Amino acid sequence: MLWLITGIVAAALFAALMAVVIKDIVVAKKKKVRYGVRESVSAYLLLAPATILALIFVMLPIVYSLGYAFTDYYLLEPDYMQFIGFENFIKIFESIGKQGMIYHAIINTLKFVVGVVPLQIGLALGLALFVNNKRKGTGIFKVCYFAPVVISLTITAQLWLQILSPSETGLLNSILGWFGVPPQDFIRNEEGAIWWIVLLSAWQGCGYQMLIFLSGLSNIRQDLYEAASLDGANKWQQFLHITVPALRSTFLFIVITVFVGASRVMVQPMLMTDEKPHTITISYWMYLEGYRYREVGYSAAMALLMTIVMGAITLVQRTVLREKD
Amino acid sequence: MLDENKTLDEQSAIESTQAVPQEETVETVATEEVAIQEKAVETVATQEVAIQEEAVADAVEVEQFFSQEKEAVEKKAERSPNVKVRKCLKAIGYYTAGTIMSLIFLFPLLYMLATSTKTEQQYAFDAGSLMMFLPNVTDLATAFGNYANVITGYGMWQYTINTILYAAVIIVLNIIINGLAGYAMAKFNFPGKGFFSFIILFLIVVPVETSIIPLYSIVNQMLHLTDSNMTAPLAIILPASISIFNIFLFMQFFEGIPKEYEEAARIDGAGTLRIFFSMILPLSKPIVATVATFCFIGTWNDYVWPTMVLPYPEEGMWPLWNIQAGLTSVKSATGVTTGEIMASLVVASVPIFIVYVVAQKYIVQGFGSAGLKM
Repeated sequence: MLWLITGIVAAALFAALMAVVIKDIVVAKKKKVRYGVRESVSAYLLLAPATILALIFVMLPIVYSLGYAFTDYYLLEPDYMQFIGFENFIKIFESIGKQGMIYHAIINTLKFVVGVVPLQIGLALGLALFVNNKRKGTGIFKVCYFAPVVISLTITAQLWLQILSPSETGLLNSILGWFGVPPQDFIRNEEGAIWWIVLLSAWQGCGYQMLIFLSGLSNIRQDLYEAASLDGANKWQQFLHITVPALRSTFLFIVITVFVGASRVMVQPMLMTDEKPHTITISYWMYLEGYRYREVGYSAAMALLMTIVMGAITLVQRTVLREKD
Repeated sequence: MLDENKTLDEQSAIESTQAVPQEETVETVATEEVAIQEKAVETVATQEVAIQEEAVADAVEVEQFFSQEKEAVEKKAERSPNVKVRKCLKAIGYYTAGTIMSLIFLFPLLYMLATSTKTEQQYAFDAGSLMMFLPNVTDLATAFGNYANVITGYGMWQYTINTILYAAVIIVLNIIINGLAGYAMAKFNFPGKGFFSFIILFLIVVPVETSIIPLYSIVNQMLHLTDSNMTAPLAIILPASISIFNIFLFMQFFEGIPKEYEEAARIDGAGTLRIFFSMILPLSKPIVATVATFCFIGTWNDYVWPTMVLPYPEEGMWPLWNIQAGLTSVKSATGVTTGEIMASLVVASVPIFIVYVVAQKYIVQGFGSAGLKM
């Protein structure tokens, strides 16, 4: 079944390629130019390995993630796959209505995005402005703020699991002990856990965006600031009228990448709490449904919904941030 | 190189071309990042900003002329002791704030390093005092004991070797496969080229949410790579060897290499593959290094996919897991101490830290490309 679909996709692509090839040759003949046969053949041979791999590992997953959404595909039985229309989507909306796991996943993802996007970008911008001067030693500060980026998300999650450990020897609990506060179970706390994940994710990620902001800041001409200060503009006005407009394109890039990255959050809840309603996220839910419970069709339907929502939101972000000019 | 009887002139010519693309990379990578992400939108915005800036700068020059007197007054004021004191205080404030923020950012890492040298008793004893952030220096045997346990006892050395092998194969395949495709797109004229460039752009721009489950269904149910231990590593290597974005990076870079060098080599009788491996790749060291660095970081830090496709380690067998997956097996081992967990985290962080230090230049050049994946 899967090979059959693969064959159909490959044949369709090959037909499209042939159509373009024939069109190109016809156009070339009209213009009295010729393609070198040897050159063309070697170009196709050079492209062949990449094309085959891209077909199997890049294009097919895209085609499947669209197609599976309308089937009842159970992971281990591809041959019994059946077309079931919009049933998966109805099931999703029913589950949201009943406040099932998907409902929690959506709420938690929203909380995470709303928390992490402003926090991480704000921190990154603040740090970039802070180290963006000619004083000695800012290089060391930069390294310090960038250090958490180097460690992976897996390491971050495990490290913070120890810091937030519920026993009284855990780092945060032992500090709270100085003030006589009894040990808390931060990560199993239904209210606070997702916010701790927000905090540690921003801590891990913001050094990266700081570097991007710094490269944006270094493109601003220094004489603009000198001129503005001669005109009597204070630091805040300089920031508002020189730095902000010049950073707009950098800012747009960072907002979109951080937003997209944040909405895909998965490793932190996976490693820190496993499947729990108070920390589950959409991506983690899709992973659990598709891999652990093997309901690929159900998982793919959610992925399709999310792709549509995400595409719409990034489009809005682009238009809004562009119009401010 | 290509010709053994190369004259000095030719040699210097090649050297000078080597210099040119190297200088261009920073620019090309930066512009590519913009081009892909925002394309027309961005260029228009930046152009507008540039025009505005120029206009402001012109007006400023005129005003600067008139306000030189004012500047002179200000300079006099700077020399007075009062201003000096204020400047000094400002500097002290700046460095104090910077240090406090550095400590806020570093304390989890300090805690990780310090705890990794302690036994469970020392860890419990130090909890609640500032000793939490200081390593155990009194007893060096236990300080290194945790590391010895983690590396040999829990098999971290095996996971490390696995990851380095995976990364090495992925880097080589990635550069050859995507490099050849980029070379064909940049330097060859053939019917159907428009089709390929459309596909490349389409795949870069289209956002797809988690195609990881469909990818798993392909690897597991179509190719059956996860069925045996012999083929399981292919499930890590093959999907990571193709990167549309890297094809795009290579394509952009190769377009900057002058056609004359290739033609000269062709007249000397070199074939296409020989030109690619002994001329194009050596001329493209910066982009090759950027791609290799990001491949390594990606392979080293990958966690979810390896745990999905690689078999769970069995007793008495060489495990196939990579380092991040290995970390979770250390954590869930019976009788593991907090110090050992922290030591395993340090072991997994050190190599990637070295990569960041050594390949700093290429990481800054390529951070736009990783921004896409995040």
